[in-house]
Amino acid sequence: MPDDIAEVYRNTYPALVRFLYRKVWDAERAEDLAQEAFARALVHRPDNTRGWLFVVAANMARDEARKAAREKRHLTLLKSEPDATEIAPEDEIDADTRTQRVRAALEHLTPRDREALLLWDSGLSYDEIAAQTGLARGAIGTTLARARRRLVEAYDAGQEGGQHVARG
Amino acid sequence: MSHVDEGTLHAYLDGELPSSERVAVDAHLMQCVTCKALLAEERALLERSTALLASARPVERPVPPFEQVRRAHKRRPWYVSTPLAWAASIVLALGLGYYLREPGTDREVAGLFDQRAAPVAEEAKTQAASPARQTQQPRANVERAAEVAQANENAGIDSVGRIGAPASSGVVAMQPRVQLRGAAPAPPLADSIRLRDSGLRLSEVVIDGAPAPAERDRAALGTPSARRDESRSVRNVVSTTWPIISRGKAASLLGDRPVGVPGLATRTIRRSPGPDSTVVVEQALDSATVIQIFQRPAAARSADSAGYPVDGYRMAREAAPAAAPASTDRLARFVGKLRVEISGPVSADSLNRLLEQVEPLP
Repeated sequence: MPDDIAEVYRNTYPALVRFLYRKVWDAERAEDLAQEAFARALVHRPDNTRGWLFVVAANMARDEARKAAREKRHLTLLKSEPDATEIAPEDEIDADTRTQRVRAALEHLTPRDREALLLWDSGLSYDEIAAQTGLARGAIGTTLARARRRLVEAYDAGQEGGQHVARG
Repeated sequence: MSHVDEGTLHAYLDGELPSSERVAVDAHLMQCVTCKALLAEERALLERSTALLASARPVERPVPPFEQVRRAHKRRPWYVSTPLAWAASIVLALGLGYYLREPGTDREVAGLFDQRAAPVAEEAKTQAASPARQTQQPRANVERAAEVAQANENAGIDSVGRIGAPASSGVVAMQPRVQLRGAAPAPPLADSIRLRDSGLRLSEVVIDGAPAPAERDRAALGTPSARRDESRSVRNVVSTTWPIISRGKAASLLGDRPVGVPGLATRTIRRSPGPDSTVVVEQALDSATVIQIFQRPAAARSADSAGYPVDGYRMAREAAPAAAPASTDRLARFVGKLRVEISGPVSADSLNRLLEQVEPLP
Protein backbone atom coordinates (compact mmCIF):
# COMPACT_ATOMS: atom_id res chain seq x y z
CA MET A 1 0.00 0.00 0.00
CA PRO A 2 1.40 3.39 -0.92
CA ASP A 3 0.39 4.81 2.47
CA ASP A 4 2.49 2.21 4.19
CA ILE A 5 5.44 3.11 2.02
CA ALA A 6 4.92 6.76 2.92
CA GLU A 7 5.06 5.80 6.56
CA VAL A 8 8.17 3.70 6.08
CA TYR A 9 9.63 6.58 4.14
CA ARG A 10 9.23 8.99 7.04
CA ASN A 11 10.72 6.53 9.51
CA THR A 12 13.44 5.00 7.39
CA TYR A 13 14.63 7.58 4.90
CA PRO A 14 17.31 9.17 7.16
CA ALA A 15 18.65 5.75 8.15
CA LEU A 16 18.72 4.61 4.55
CA VAL A 17 20.62 7.73 3.54
CA ARG A 18 23.09 7.14 6.35
CA PHE A 19 23.50 3.51 5.36
CA LEU A 20 24.12 4.50 1.75
CA TYR A 21 26.42 7.32 2.69
CA ARG A 22 28.73 4.90 4.46
CA LYS A 23 28.93 2.94 1.24
CA VAL A 24 29.22 5.63 -1.39
CA TRP A 25 30.67 8.39 0.82
CA ASP A 26 28.82 11.09 -1.02
CA ALA A 27 25.84 12.65 0.76
CA GLU A 28 24.00 13.77 -2.36
CA ARG A 29 24.52 10.51 -4.11
CA ALA A 30 23.31 8.71 -1.01
CA GLU A 31 20.11 10.77 -1.02
CA ASP A 32 19.57 10.14 -4.73
CA LEU A 33 19.99 6.43 -4.25
CA ALA A 34 17.70 6.40 -1.22
CA GLN A 35 14.96 8.12 -3.20
CA GLU A 36 15.52 5.77 -6.07
CA ALA A 37 15.11 2.84 -3.68
CA PHE A 38 11.80 4.24 -2.46
CA ALA A 39 10.68 4.84 -6.02
CA ARG A 40 11.37 1.20 -6.75
CA ALA A 41 9.46 0.20 -3.65
CA LEU A 42 6.45 2.03 -5.05
CA VAL A 43 6.61 -0.24 -8.07
CA HIS A 44 7.39 -3.51 -6.34
CA ARG A 45 5.23 -3.10 -3.22
CA PRO A 46 7.34 -5.55 -1.22
CA ASP A 47 5.88 -7.24 1.85
CA ASN A 48 8.67 -6.13 4.15
CA THR A 49 9.31 -2.68 2.80
CA ARG A 50 12.05 -1.68 5.21
CA GLY A 51 14.11 -4.82 4.80
CA TRP A 52 13.55 -4.75 1.07
CA LEU A 53 14.75 -1.16 0.88
CA PHE A 54 18.05 -2.01 2.52
CA VAL A 55 18.60 -4.95 0.23
CA VAL A 56 17.97 -2.77 -2.79
CA ALA A 57 20.10 0.03 -1.36
CA ALA A 58 22.98 -2.36 -0.68
CA ASN A 59 22.77 -3.60 -4.26
CA MET A 60 22.72 -0.09 -5.66
CA ALA A 61 25.69 0.87 -3.50
CA ARG A 62 27.56 -2.19 -4.70
CA ASP A 63 26.91 -1.19 -8.29
CA GLU A 64 28.14 2.28 -7.47
CA ALA A 65 31.29 0.90 -5.92
CA ARG A 66 31.95 -1.26 -8.96
CA LYS A 67 31.50 1.73 -11.18
CA ALA A 68 33.83 3.76 -9.01
CA ALA A 69 36.40 1.00 -9.05
CA ARG A 70 36.20 0.91 -12.80
CA GLU A 71 36.90 4.58 -12.95
CA LYS A 72 39.82 4.14 -10.57
CA ARG A 73 38.46 6.91 -8.40
CA HIS A 74 38.03 4.49 -5.56
CA LEU A 75 41.67 3.47 -5.44
CA THR A 76 42.94 7.00 -5.67
CA LEU A 77 40.81 8.12 -2.77
CA LEU A 78 41.89 5.26 -0.55
CA LYS A 79 45.53 5.83 -1.33
CA SER A 80 45.37 9.47 -0.42
CA GLU A 81 43.71 8.91 2.94
CA PRO A 82 46.63 8.02 5.24
CA ASP A 83 48.55 11.11 4.23
CA ALA A 84 45.60 13.30 4.95
CA THR A 85 44.78 11.80 8.32
CA GLU A 86 47.97 10.92 10.11
CA ILE A 87 49.18 14.24 11.39
CA ALA A 88 46.53 15.98 13.48
CA PRO A 89 45.72 14.67 16.98
CA GLU A 90 42.26 13.36 17.74
CA ASP A 91 40.86 16.48 19.41
CA GLU A 92 41.94 18.83 16.63
CA ILE A 93 40.74 17.05 13.56
CA ASP A 94 37.70 18.32 11.75
CA ALA A 95 34.63 16.35 10.89
CA ASP A 96 35.78 15.58 7.36
CA THR A 97 39.02 14.09 8.56
CA ARG A 98 37.23 12.01 11.15
CA THR A 99 34.87 10.76 8.49
CA GLN A 100 37.81 9.81 6.32
CA ARG A 101 39.38 7.91 9.20
CA VAL A 102 36.21 6.03 9.99
CA ARG A 103 35.86 5.22 6.36
CA ALA A 104 39.38 3.88 6.22
CA ALA A 105 38.77 1.87 9.40
CA LEU A 106 35.58 0.38 7.95
CA GLU A 107 37.62 -0.84 5.02
CA HIS A 108 39.41 -3.14 7.43
CA LEU A 109 36.27 -5.08 8.20
CA THR A 110 35.23 -8.05 6.16
CA PRO A 111 32.33 -7.18 3.86
CA ARG A 112 29.93 -9.31 5.89
CA ASP A 113 30.97 -7.80 9.24
CA ARG A 114 30.76 -4.33 7.79
CA GLU A 115 27.35 -4.97 6.33
CA ALA A 116 26.00 -6.28 9.64
CA LEU A 117 27.41 -3.31 11.52
CA LEU A 118 26.03 -0.73 9.10
CA LEU A 119 22.63 -2.39 9.03
CA TRP A 120 22.49 -2.45 12.82
CA ASP A 121 23.50 1.16 12.95
CA SER A 122 20.73 1.96 10.47
CA GLY A 123 18.19 0.54 12.89
CA LEU A 124 17.63 -2.94 11.57
CA SER A 125 16.91 -5.72 14.04
CA TYR A 126 18.93 -8.91 14.35
CA ASP A 127 16.17 -10.72 12.50
CA GLU A 128 16.31 -8.25 9.65
CA ILE A 129 20.08 -8.36 9.52
CA ALA A 130 19.98 -12.16 9.49
CA ALA A 131 17.47 -12.12 6.65
CA GLN A 132 19.53 -9.70 4.64
CA THR A 133 23.02 -11.09 5.19
CA GLY A 134 22.17 -14.75 5.26
CA LEU A 135 23.75 -15.14 8.67
CA ALA A 136 22.07 -17.22 11.37
CA ARG A 137 20.28 -15.04 13.84
CA GLY A 138 22.35 -16.51 16.65
CA ALA A 139 25.55 -15.43 14.90
CA ILE A 140 24.63 -11.76 14.62
CA GLY A 141 25.82 -10.87 18.14
CA THR A 142 29.20 -12.47 17.51
CA THR A 143 29.46 -10.81 14.13
CA LEU A 144 28.67 -7.41 15.56
CA ALA A 145 31.12 -7.90 18.47
CA ARG A 146 33.88 -8.69 15.99
CA ALA A 147 32.93 -5.82 13.70
CA ARG A 148 32.88 -3.28 16.51
CA ARG A 149 36.21 -4.39 17.90
CA ARG A 150 37.79 -4.34 14.46
CA LEU A 151 36.44 -0.90 13.73
CA VAL A 152 37.74 0.62 16.95
CA GLU A 153 41.10 -1.09 16.63
CA ALA A 154 41.55 -0.06 13.03
CA TYR A 155 40.54 3.47 13.81
CA ASP A 156 42.99 3.75 16.70
CA ALA A 157 45.75 2.09 14.71
CA GLY A 158 45.13 4.50 11.84
CA GLN A 159 45.38 7.40 14.21
CA GLU A 160 48.59 6.24 15.79
CA GLY A 161 50.44 4.78 12.91
CA GLY A 162 48.90 6.16 9.76
CA GLN A 163 50.16 3.82 7.09
CA HIS A 164 51.22 1.15 9.56
CA VAL A 165 47.70 -0.13 9.81
CA ALA A 166 47.65 -3.79 8.95
CA ARG A 167 45.01 -4.36 6.34
CA GLY A 168 42.69 -7.35 6.08
CA MET B 1 25.80 -21.40 33.61
CA SER B 2 29.27 -21.03 32.13
CA HIS B 3 30.73 -17.66 31.24
CA VAL B 4 28.89 -15.58 28.70
CA ASP B 5 30.61 -15.20 25.31
CA GLU B 6 31.05 -11.77 23.78
CA GLY B 7 28.53 -12.39 21.03
CA THR B 8 25.84 -13.05 23.59
CA LEU B 9 26.93 -10.01 25.55
CA HIS B 10 26.56 -7.83 22.46
CA ALA B 11 23.16 -9.27 21.75
CA TYR B 12 22.33 -8.66 25.42
CA LEU B 13 23.50 -5.06 25.17
CA ASP B 14 21.65 -4.61 21.87
CA GLY B 15 18.46 -5.83 23.54
CA GLU B 16 18.21 -8.64 20.99
CA LEU B 17 18.47 -11.67 23.29
CA PRO B 18 15.32 -13.75 23.55
CA SER B 19 13.74 -13.16 26.96
CA SER B 20 14.57 -16.65 28.29
CA GLU B 21 18.27 -16.19 27.48
CA ARG B 22 18.19 -12.72 28.85
CA VAL B 23 17.00 -13.96 32.24
CA ALA B 24 19.77 -16.53 32.33
CA VAL B 25 22.44 -13.96 31.44
CA ASP B 26 21.13 -11.56 34.08
CA ALA B 27 21.36 -14.30 36.69
CA HIS B 28 24.90 -15.20 35.68
CA LEU B 29 26.10 -11.59 35.69
CA MET B 30 24.84 -11.19 39.25
CA GLN B 31 27.33 -13.74 40.45
CA CYS B 32 30.23 -13.67 37.93
CA VAL B 33 32.70 -10.83 38.36
CA THR B 34 34.65 -11.84 35.25
CA CYS B 35 31.59 -11.62 33.05
CA LYS B 36 30.52 -8.39 34.66
CA ALA B 37 33.92 -6.86 33.83
CA LEU B 38 33.69 -8.26 30.32
CA LEU B 39 30.23 -6.76 29.97
CA ALA B 40 31.59 -3.32 30.92
CA GLU B 41 34.37 -3.76 28.38
CA GLU B 42 32.00 -4.74 25.62
CA ARG B 43 29.67 -1.89 26.48
CA ALA B 44 32.56 0.57 26.15
CA LEU B 45 33.53 -0.99 22.82
CA LEU B 46 29.97 -0.80 21.60
CA GLU B 47 29.62 2.83 22.63
CA ARG B 48 32.91 3.74 21.06
CA SER B 49 32.05 2.01 17.84
CA THR B 50 28.65 3.66 17.74
CA ALA B 51 30.27 7.05 18.33
CA LEU B 52 32.77 6.46 15.56
CA LEU B 53 30.03 5.55 13.13
CA ALA B 54 28.05 8.57 14.26
CA SER B 55 30.95 10.80 13.33
CA ALA B 56 30.88 9.37 9.81
CA ARG B 57 27.41 10.40 8.85
CA PRO B 58 26.11 12.75 6.22
CA VAL B 59 24.94 16.19 7.18
CA GLU B 60 21.38 15.71 8.33
CA ARG B 61 19.00 17.34 5.92
CA PRO B 62 15.25 17.54 6.11
CA VAL B 63 13.54 14.55 4.59
CA PRO B 64 12.15 15.57 1.22
CA PRO B 65 8.38 15.19 0.98
CA PHE B 66 7.31 11.73 -0.08
CA GLU B 67 5.28 13.35 -2.86
CA GLN B 68 8.57 14.26 -4.48
CA VAL B 69 9.61 10.63 -4.67
CA ARG B 70 6.19 9.64 -5.91
CA ARG B 71 6.22 12.28 -8.61
CA ALA B 72 9.73 11.40 -9.69
CA HIS B 73 8.63 7.80 -9.87
CA LYS B 74 5.68 8.68 -12.06
CA ARG B 75 7.77 10.88 -14.27
CA ARG B 76 10.45 8.32 -14.86
CA PRO B 77 9.66 4.76 -13.85
CA TRP B 78 13.05 3.16 -13.53
CA TYR B 79 11.91 -0.22 -14.81
CA VAL B 80 10.63 1.29 -18.02
CA SER B 81 13.14 4.00 -18.66
CA THR B 82 16.25 1.90 -19.10
CA PRO B 83 14.97 -0.66 -21.59
CA LEU B 84 13.06 2.02 -23.48
CA ALA B 85 16.13 4.18 -23.69
CA TRP B 86 18.04 1.26 -25.11
CA ALA B 87 15.34 0.45 -27.57
CA ALA B 88 15.10 4.06 -28.63
CA SER B 89 18.84 4.27 -29.16
CA ILE B 90 18.85 1.16 -31.29
CA VAL B 91 15.92 2.30 -33.37
CA LEU B 92 17.52 5.69 -33.83
CA ALA B 93 20.83 4.15 -34.85
CA LEU B 94 19.19 1.82 -37.35
CA GLY B 95 17.07 4.61 -38.72
CA LEU B 96 20.01 6.94 -39.11
CA GLY B 97 22.09 4.24 -40.70
CA TYR B 98 19.41 3.51 -43.21
CA TYR B 99 18.78 7.16 -43.87
CA LEU B 100 22.45 8.01 -44.35
CA ARG B 101 23.11 5.02 -46.54
CA GLU B 102 21.23 6.56 -49.43
CA PRO B 103 17.87 8.15 -50.16
CA GLY B 104 15.34 5.45 -49.47
CA THR B 105 13.23 5.97 -52.57
CA ASP B 106 16.08 5.46 -54.94
CA ARG B 107 16.24 1.72 -54.66
CA GLU B 108 12.54 1.40 -55.18
CA VAL B 109 12.60 3.59 -58.22
CA ALA B 110 15.64 1.82 -59.59
CA GLY B 111 13.88 -1.51 -59.15
CA LEU B 112 10.75 -0.16 -60.78
CA PHE B 113 12.76 1.16 -63.60
CA ASP B 114 14.62 -2.05 -64.19
CA GLN B 115 11.38 -3.90 -64.62
CA ARG B 116 10.04 -1.44 -67.09
CA ALA B 117 13.24 -0.87 -68.96
CA ALA B 118 13.85 -4.48 -69.83
CA PRO B 119 10.99 -4.96 -72.30
CA VAL B 120 11.63 -1.54 -73.75
CA ALA B 121 15.19 -2.50 -74.40
CA GLU B 122 14.06 -5.64 -76.16
CA GLU B 123 11.79 -3.70 -78.42
CA ALA B 124 14.40 -1.15 -79.10
CA LYS B 125 16.80 -3.82 -80.25
CA THR B 126 14.20 -5.20 -82.58
CA GLN B 127 13.56 -1.78 -83.95
CA ALA B 128 17.19 -1.24 -84.56
CA ALA B 129 17.18 -4.40 -86.67
CA SER B 130 14.11 -3.45 -88.71
CA PRO B 131 13.71 0.29 -89.13
CA ALA B 132 10.34 -0.15 -90.80
CA ARG B 133 8.73 -1.04 -87.51
CA GLN B 134 9.84 2.16 -85.95
CA THR B 135 6.82 4.04 -87.20
CA GLN B 136 4.40 1.58 -85.60
CA GLN B 137 5.98 1.43 -82.21
CA PRO B 138 6.79 4.89 -80.98
CA ARG B 139 3.43 5.52 -79.36
CA ALA B 140 3.72 2.65 -76.96
CA ASN B 141 7.29 3.48 -76.16
CA VAL B 142 6.47 7.07 -75.48
CA GLU B 143 3.82 5.93 -73.08
CA ARG B 144 6.17 3.60 -71.29
CA ALA B 145 8.89 6.16 -71.13
CA ALA B 146 6.37 8.62 -69.81
CA GLU B 147 5.48 6.18 -67.07
CA VAL B 148 9.09 5.81 -66.16
CA ALA B 149 9.54 9.55 -66.22
CA GLN B 150 6.49 9.89 -64.03
CA ALA B 151 7.84 7.36 -61.59
CA ASN B 152 11.10 9.17 -61.38
CA GLU B 153 9.46 12.52 -61.04
CA ASN B 154 7.33 11.19 -58.24
CA ALA B 155 10.49 10.24 -56.44
CA GLY B 156 11.89 13.68 -56.93
CA ILE B 157 14.48 12.60 -59.41
CA ASP B 158 14.83 14.77 -62.42
CA SER B 159 16.50 12.67 -65.03
CA VAL B 160 14.38 11.08 -67.68
CA GLY B 161 11.97 13.94 -67.27
CA ARG B 162 14.00 15.84 -69.79
CA ILE B 163 13.51 13.31 -72.52
CA GLY B 164 11.97 15.81 -74.87
CA ALA B 165 14.87 18.23 -74.86
CA PRO B 166 16.94 17.92 -78.03
CA ALA B 167 20.18 18.14 -76.18
CA SER B 168 19.44 15.30 -73.83
CA SER B 169 17.98 13.03 -76.40
CA GLY B 170 20.93 13.79 -78.59
CA VAL B 171 23.29 12.73 -75.90
CA VAL B 172 21.54 9.56 -75.14
CA ALA B 173 21.03 8.77 -78.76
CA MET B 174 24.65 7.89 -79.11
CA GLN B 175 24.59 5.64 -76.09
CA PRO B 176 23.12 2.37 -77.29
CA ARG B 177 25.60 1.87 -80.03
CA VAL B 178 28.67 2.31 -77.95
CA GLN B 179 27.21 0.76 -74.85
CA LEU B 180 26.15 -2.46 -76.44
CA ARG B 181 29.35 -2.78 -78.29
CA GLY B 182 31.42 -1.99 -75.27
CA ALA B 183 29.47 -4.36 -73.10
CA ALA B 184 30.98 -7.58 -74.35
CA PRO B 185 34.49 -7.34 -72.88
CA ALA B 186 33.35 -5.76 -69.65
CA PRO B 187 33.27 -7.68 -66.36
CA PRO B 188 30.01 -9.55 -65.73
CA LEU B 189 28.62 -7.20 -63.11
CA ALA B 190 29.45 -4.02 -64.94
CA ASP B 191 28.09 -5.72 -68.05
CA SER B 192 24.64 -6.15 -66.67
CA ILE B 193 24.61 -2.61 -65.38
CA ARG B 194 25.47 -1.19 -68.73
CA LEU B 195 22.86 -3.26 -70.49
CA ARG B 196 20.24 -1.94 -68.18
CA ASP B 197 21.47 1.56 -68.81
CA SER B 198 21.21 1.05 -72.49
CA GLY B 199 17.63 -0.01 -72.05
CA LEU B 200 16.82 3.48 -70.85
CA ARG B 201 18.70 5.17 -73.59
CA LEU B 202 17.23 3.04 -76.34
CA SER B 203 13.76 3.96 -75.30
CA GLU B 204 14.73 7.58 -75.47
CA VAL B 205 16.06 7.12 -78.96
CA VAL B 206 12.74 5.77 -80.05
CA ILE B 207 10.87 8.70 -78.61
CA ASP B 208 13.09 11.16 -80.27
CA GLY B 209 13.90 9.55 -83.55
CA ALA B 210 16.45 12.28 -84.19
CA PRO B 211 20.09 11.68 -84.99
CA ALA B 212 22.64 12.47 -82.34
CA PRO B 213 23.83 16.04 -82.55
CA ALA B 214 27.50 16.50 -82.97
CA GLU B 215 29.71 17.04 -79.96
CA ARG B 216 30.09 20.76 -80.58
CA ASP B 217 26.31 21.27 -80.81
CA ARG B 218 25.91 19.93 -77.35
CA ALA B 219 28.68 22.07 -76.06
CA ALA B 220 26.98 25.06 -77.64
CA LEU B 221 23.80 24.28 -75.75
CA GLY B 222 25.16 25.47 -72.49
CA THR B 223 21.85 25.25 -70.63
CA PRO B 224 21.78 23.61 -67.25
CA SER B 225 19.72 20.72 -68.46
CA ALA B 226 22.08 20.07 -71.32
CA ARG B 227 25.05 20.24 -69.00
CA ARG B 228 23.44 17.92 -66.57
CA ASP B 229 22.61 15.29 -69.12
CA GLU B 230 25.97 15.65 -70.66
CA SER B 231 27.79 14.87 -67.49
CA ARG B 232 25.51 11.95 -66.82
CA SER B 233 25.84 10.39 -70.22
CA VAL B 234 29.53 11.07 -70.44
CA ARG B 235 29.94 9.11 -67.26
CA ASN B 236 28.27 6.12 -68.75
CA VAL B 237 30.24 5.93 -71.92
CA VAL B 238 33.50 6.74 -70.29
CA SER B 239 35.08 3.39 -70.95
CA THR B 240 34.46 3.57 -74.64
CA THR B 241 34.57 7.20 -75.65
CA TRP B 242 36.89 8.86 -73.18
CA PRO B 243 40.36 8.98 -74.74
CA ILE B 244 43.14 7.32 -72.81
CA ILE B 245 45.78 9.79 -71.78
CA SER B 246 49.14 9.66 -70.08
CA ARG B 247 49.63 10.44 -66.44
CA GLY B 248 51.55 13.57 -67.38
CA LYS B 249 48.72 14.77 -69.58
CA ALA B 250 46.27 14.14 -66.75
CA ALA B 251 48.43 16.16 -64.40
CA SER B 252 48.54 19.08 -66.81
CA LEU B 253 44.76 18.94 -67.31
CA LEU B 254 44.09 18.82 -63.59
CA GLY B 255 46.84 21.21 -62.61
CA ASP B 256 47.84 18.63 -60.03
CA ARG B 257 48.78 14.99 -59.81
CA PRO B 258 45.85 12.68 -60.56
CA VAL B 259 44.52 10.87 -57.51
CA GLY B 260 43.63 7.27 -56.86
CA VAL B 261 43.45 4.61 -54.21
CA PRO B 262 46.98 3.69 -53.19
CA GLY B 263 47.85 0.06 -53.68
CA LEU B 264 45.34 -0.56 -56.46
CA ALA B 265 46.56 -1.19 -59.96
CA THR B 266 45.77 1.73 -62.22
CA ARG B 267 44.37 0.35 -65.44
CA THR B 268 43.83 3.46 -67.47
CA ILE B 269 43.64 7.21 -67.17
CA ARG B 270 41.18 8.87 -69.48
CA ARG B 271 40.05 12.38 -70.14
CA SER B 272 36.60 13.68 -70.79
CA PRO B 273 35.79 14.06 -74.47
CA GLY B 274 34.06 17.35 -73.58
CA PRO B 275 35.57 20.72 -73.00
CA ASP B 276 35.98 20.31 -69.25
CA SER B 277 39.16 19.10 -67.57
CA THR B 278 37.64 15.99 -66.06
CA VAL B 279 39.90 12.98 -65.82
CA VAL B 280 38.97 9.48 -64.75
CA VAL B 281 41.42 7.07 -63.22
CA GLU B 282 40.27 3.49 -63.56
CA GLN B 283 41.63 1.12 -60.98
CA ALA B 284 41.11 -2.62 -60.59
CA LEU B 285 39.79 -3.93 -57.28
CA ASP B 286 40.13 -7.42 -58.71
CA SER B 287 40.10 -9.02 -62.12
CA ALA B 288 36.36 -8.45 -62.55
CA THR B 289 35.82 -5.18 -60.72
CA VAL B 290 36.95 -1.77 -61.82
CA ILE B 291 36.30 1.42 -59.94
CA GLN B 292 36.36 4.81 -61.60
CA ILE B 293 37.74 7.85 -59.84
CA PHE B 294 36.52 11.00 -61.51
CA GLN B 295 38.43 14.14 -60.76
CA ARG B 296 38.66 17.69 -61.89
CA PRO B 297 39.99 20.97 -60.60
CA ALA B 298 37.59 22.13 -57.94
CA ALA B 299 37.97 25.76 -58.95
CA ALA B 300 37.14 25.20 -62.62
CA ARG B 301 33.67 24.07 -61.78
CA SER B 302 32.57 27.16 -59.98
CA ALA B 303 34.08 29.30 -62.73
CA ASP B 304 32.22 27.77 -65.64
CA SER B 305 28.97 26.86 -63.96
CA ALA B 306 28.10 30.56 -64.04
CA GLY B 307 26.06 30.65 -60.93
CA TYR B 308 24.19 27.46 -61.61
CA PRO B 309 24.15 26.15 -58.10
CA VAL B 310 24.12 22.47 -58.73
CA ASP B 311 27.32 20.92 -59.84
CA GLY B 312 26.99 18.68 -62.84
CA TYR B 313 28.56 15.83 -60.95
CA ARG B 314 26.17 16.15 -58.13
CA MET B 315 23.40 15.98 -60.63
CA ALA B 316 24.99 12.94 -62.09
CA ARG B 317 24.89 11.37 -58.69
CA GLU B 318 21.30 12.28 -58.14
CA ALA B 319 20.37 10.91 -61.51
CA ALA B 320 22.37 7.79 -60.98
CA PRO B 321 19.71 5.71 -59.24
CA ALA B 322 17.43 6.12 -62.21
CA ALA B 323 20.07 5.51 -64.80
CA ALA B 324 21.94 2.78 -63.01
CA PRO B 325 21.37 0.38 -60.13
CA ALA B 326 22.20 1.51 -56.64
CA SER B 327 25.42 -0.45 -56.71
CA THR B 328 26.98 2.27 -58.84
CA ASP B 329 26.38 5.04 -56.34
CA ARG B 330 28.80 7.88 -56.62
CA LEU B 331 30.28 9.66 -53.68
CA ALA B 332 32.35 12.79 -53.76
CA ARG B 333 34.98 14.61 -51.76
CA PHE B 334 37.75 17.10 -52.26
CA VAL B 335 41.35 15.95 -52.35
CA GLY B 336 43.70 18.90 -52.42
CA LYS B 337 42.55 21.10 -55.26
CA LEU B 338 40.58 18.36 -56.95
CA ARG B 339 36.98 17.43 -56.66
CA VAL B 340 36.92 13.66 -56.66
CA GLU B 341 34.05 11.27 -57.23
CA ILE B 342 34.13 7.54 -57.08
CA SER B 343 31.99 5.04 -58.89
CA GLY B 344 31.99 1.32 -59.21
CA PRO B 345 29.94 -1.88 -58.91
CA VAL B 346 30.49 -2.27 -55.16
CA SER B 347 28.46 -1.17 -52.15
CA ALA B 348 28.18 2.48 -51.21
CA ASP B 349 29.99 1.59 -48.00
CA SER B 350 32.95 0.17 -49.85
CA LEU B 351 33.01 3.11 -52.22
CA ASN B 352 33.00 5.45 -49.29
CA ARG B 353 35.93 3.65 -47.71
CA LEU B 354 37.82 3.66 -50.97
CA LEU B 355 37.10 7.34 -51.45
CA GLU B 356 38.50 7.99 -47.99
CA GLN B 357 41.81 6.48 -49.08
CA VAL B 358 42.14 8.46 -52.28
CA GLU B 359 45.34 10.45 -52.50
CA PRO B 360 47.66 11.75 -55.23
CA LEU B 361 49.11 8.87 -57.20
CA PRO B 362 52.88 8.51 -56.92
